[in-house]
Amino acid sequence: MKLMAAGIRRDFFRSGKNTNIFTAVQNTDFTLLEGCMTVIVGRSGSGKTTFIQMLSGLLTPTEGKVTADNTDLYLLSDKERSAFRNRHIGIIPQGQTGLQRFTVLENVLLPAEMYGKADDKKDKALQLLEAVEIGALADVYAGELSGGELRRMAIVRAMIHEPQILIADEPTGDLDAETTAFVMKLLKAHAENGGSVLIVTHDKDVMAYADELYRMEKGVLVRS
Amino acid sequence: MSFIIKTSLKNIRRKPRRFVLLGMILLVMSVTLFGGAFVTVSLQNGLSAYQQRLGADIIVTPSSAQGHGTVDGILLQGISGNYYMSPSELEKLRSIEGIEAMSAQFYLTSAKASCCGSRVQIIGFDPETDFSILPWIKESIRTEIRNGDILIGADVSYPADGTILFYGKQYHVAGQLEKTGTGLDHAVYTNRSTIAEMAQNAAAGVMQTTLKNVNIGNAASAVLIKVKDGYDIQSVADDINIHVTKVNAVPSQNMVSSISEGLKGTSAVIGALIFGIWLLMVVVMGAVFAMLSNERKKEFAVLRVMGASRGMLFGIMCCESVVISTVGAVIGAGISAVLSVPVSEMLKESLSLPMVHPSGGSLALLCVGAVLLPMLSGLVTSLISAFLVTKNETGLLLREDG
Repeated sequence: MKLMAAGIRRDFFRSGKNTNIFTAVQNTDFTLLEGCMTVIVGRSGSGKTTFIQMLSGLLTPTEGKVTADNTDLYLLSDKERSAFRNRHIGIIPQGQTGLQRFTVLENVLLPAEMYGKADDKKDKALQLLEAVEIGALADVYAGELSGGELRRMAIVRAMIHEPQILIADEPTGDLDAETTAFVMKLLKAHAENGGSVLIVTHDKDVMAYADELYRMEKGVLVRS
Repeated sequence: MSFIIKTSLKNIRRKPRRFVLLGMILLVMSVTLFGGAFVTVSLQNGLSAYQQRLGADIIVTPSSAQGHGTVDGILLQGISGNYYMSPSELEKLRSIEGIEAMSAQFYLTSAKASCCGSRVQIIGFDPETDFSILPWIKESIRTEIRNGDILIGADVSYPADGTILFYGKQYHVAGQLEKTGTGLDHAVYTNRSTIAEMAQNAAAGVMQTTLKNVNIGNAASAVLIKVKDGYDIQSVADDINIHVTKVNAVPSQNMVSSISEGLKGTSAVIGALIFGIWLLMVVVMGAVFAMLSNERKKEFAVLRVMGASRGMLFGIMCCESVVISTVGAVIGAGISAVLSVPVSEMLKESLSLPMVHPSGGSLALLCVGAVLLPMLSGLVTSLISAFLVTKNETGLLLREDG
């Protein structure tokens, strides 16, 4: 599946003493290649998160369009876009996003449960949890996991539907070097299996895994 | 089970404290609605029972009755009174034009002393002329009242041997009348000759002073009058007031109207209180829902990231709200149903107003209302909160979360 952005821009209103419009992402064209790990690096506040939120259908661009195999994401209804995201785009958001009163397995199965496919995915979920070495924690509540374990759980959750596209926002933000290497290998494997992986990060160590490297500076995306 | 129901139940089960406050609010709302409606319906039932029982167009009492337990006080509130008009005034009444039927009643209050088994108002009526009490007796217990027999109101208790002591003599309880919710329930009824006997005994003892100059056999405490068709009730009452001295004739409608006005006022106050409390609860519930929604922004954003639609989030919040509302409201309605009777009895005593509890069917309707209205209030409030949370795009929700 080819994910493309054509001339997308996003403005935010900033109120205060001098009310003005702040452009987080300037007009940008972008194509996410299949079978490839694309990394966007940039400083905090450079517009990376805004950019991937627009790409994943979570934030409407002020201008421009995002298409996935010729389907304009923002012309779909909320229900259609949500179902599309559920099926085709796995997202690993920034920070810890485990639902604490759900077990690890329940967290991982949530995307499948939303559209009534949880039973089919249970074995797959357990396999993936084993693969990321937290299989023993399947019945533990997410609130009891460490940061690294939570990140691995979020990756499994994003991969449960075997989505063609995987988008990760600072996936190694609070991980040690060993766990970072482990997580990056997982994501790299997804790309090597034909998936499209997009990572935004300010962690320079991640650049080593990139097939395609971009730099985001003050809302402008530049190919490195 | 669908994702929405399953997720909602998990949320409630695994974070119960989050929902306890909401449940409590809905419980209070349900208790208020049920209690308020119960009291209002009881008051309305009481008034209609009172109107039904009165049966007379005009009630005549001696002028001396003013301020000493008037007829409406005796009949409605169970206030005791001993006052009498002479036989000559009764004769003058008979000569007034427009009267179709009249029946005299004799009132006697039993004393607290050892001579009497119970402190009640005793009403003596003439079975030959009565049109107010006899129909009630016929409806209620279908029995004749013989000399020496008494009938008792629904709230009068009596010993197991079926007799009550009045002024040194035991009287046989021939039956207990149906509840009216008025002072009639606290009274004892008997025929003229039996009450005359009681009054003679009273006059010889503790009520010597009160009954000293009373012609017990022929005097009356009140006269109930039915007006002939074609005559104006107010005009007949005016005629009586002009032509018969030392009496006071009042159209019973006026009496009922004033009570009715009083009840309307009471009902309005109760209604306003219910509305006020309901409104307050809705505002508090709205604030709690808003607080909870705010606290759950990240959770909702994560669900959206995974592919949950706005409709799903709405569904989860509504489902949680319906479950909590139902539990809170059902417990509230249950508590109300159990407490309503004793509490309304206390109110009846303190307000001195006629109250008849709603029947089984009305009670069931009250219960349904006391569950449904809080449930709907909870649902609407949660929908508003859900709308406020989900109106922003997920990207912005994640951004707000930091």
